Amino acid sequence: MAKSEDCVHILQGLLVFGNVVIGMCGIALTAECIYFVSNPHGLYPLLKATENNDIYAAAWIGIFVGLALFALSILGIIGVIKGSRTLLLVYIILMLITFAFEMASCITAATHQDSVTPELFLKQMLERYQKSEPANNNDNEVTKTWDELMVQNHCCGVLGPSDWQEYTSAFRLTHSDADYPWPQKCCVLDAQGLPVNLDGCKLGVPGYYNSNGCYDAISGPVNRHAWGVAWFGFAILCWTFCVLLGTMFYWSGIEY
Amino acid sequence: TMLPLLLLLLPVAHGIVELGYTPVLTKSPSLGGLRTASTFVLDQPRCVFDEYGNADIWLVVALDQAASTFNNTARPGTPETAFQSFPDPVSAYMTLNATLANYPCPKPAGDITVLRVGSETSCAEDAERPTCNGPLPGPGPYRVKFLALQGSEPVAETSWSAPIMLRTAKSPSSISTTSKGHSAGMIAITTILSILFAILLAGLVAMLFFWGSDSCGSSSTFSKPESVTVRRYNTHH
Repeated sequence: MAKSEDCVHILQGLLVFGNVVIGMCGIALTAECIYFVSNPHGLYPLLKATENNDIYAAAWIGIFVGLALFALSILGIIGVIKGSRTLLLVYIILMLITFAFEMASCITAATHQDSVTPELFLKQMLERYQKSEPANNNDNEVTKTWDELMVQNHCCGVLGPSDWQEYTSAFRLTHSDADYPWPQKCCVLDAQGLPVNLDGCKLGVPGYYNSNGCYDAISGPVNRHAWGVAWFGFAILCWTFCVLLGTMFYWSGIEY
Repeated sequence: TMLPLLLLLLPVAHGIVELGYTPVLTKSPSLGGLRTASTFVLDQPRCVFDEYGNADIWLVVALDQAASTFNNTARPGTPETAFQSFPDPVSAYMTLNATLANYPCPKPAGDITVLRVGSETSCAEDAERPTCNGPLPGPGPYRVKFLALQGSEPVAETSWSAPIMLRTAKSPSSISTTSKGHSAGMIAITTILSILFAILLAGLVAMLFFWGSDSCGSSSTFSKPESVTVRRYNTHH
């Protein structure tokens, strides 16, 4: 019957289109997650030190899920065009497994975003920056990361230089308050990396020291990262849901 | 009534002039390190000691409760006013020796003229430098005044400043890092994805359960792209 033939072709066309979109989104997800895992802002040591690097686990899962989605979308296209029940059954089951993994990745990324607070980084910075007996390599990494962060972003501390005054710290144990009210990396530095005016920096004269905090420079990239993984993944999963429902309907209508 | 009169006469009798200036913490420009845990920043006493070109101007730093009992005849550089013995047993020390040449009047506009009390860390333990401007040993409160000495006789003094309290640092373990709960976005993602996944699983189960059964006659809805074979019955025999 011509009408049902048309129906079949329309459904097949829709499913093929759906799978093409899934394939492309899978590649995009892989690319995005590889970008995040490559640590473009150098913040990985800070997150690792706060034991909050779930976001990287979510990104790693995202890489493999993206590749799986691409491969499965090709399988799906072949299965739909051939009308093969076995191929489509395999496709549906593997897609469900991939769906579950991507779901885990999205939820992890969204949960992690909630736990990124200033207090978290403040405590870790005070306890580990310039620790005189570093317990392991992590502490050195934390010090190096903070130094680079403060110099590149012209900022000091998490909320401001007053962080170093309000709380005692590992830094304070080795550097006296009168000589170093805050670390020298908080001073405005010249081309050689030395403070332009050390006395001005110690006094806290505006223009000779960095008076704003680094939290924005940290939370901006981390939140974009978490958003990218969580919400893009969510969008892909919603689309995949529709395609899978259509495939199940198509599968149950195939004669064998 | 005799007592107040006597007290009024005392400074006159010693010849010390009470200048009407009160030392203050620097207000302009706004300094980030105005008060730290062991230092504070005062304005320089410009245009205050103009008539005392020959005098040495000293800064007296005292514990708040010892300010009223400070004797102006105390000499700088002696064990009774040594920084290294502050705060116990010495309750007020003298430091930051200067002359009028260090505080020219009027102050050039745009210059930052301050005195950082507590900046010399190298001589803090050196008993041979009793006039060291060393870091303050505790949060205070402290009071300061300027005293002008000619020879070793006090000739002029400013009033005592208001009590200056320094900062006390808290321990970082007092910072609470417990999360403040889950945001709406995270709850939305979790709920919606769980529902979608449940629907898909239900669909898979329904699909497999009805495998092979002619449910709702839908098995003949789509036909495979194969040619239909027609059987011909040959009735002739």
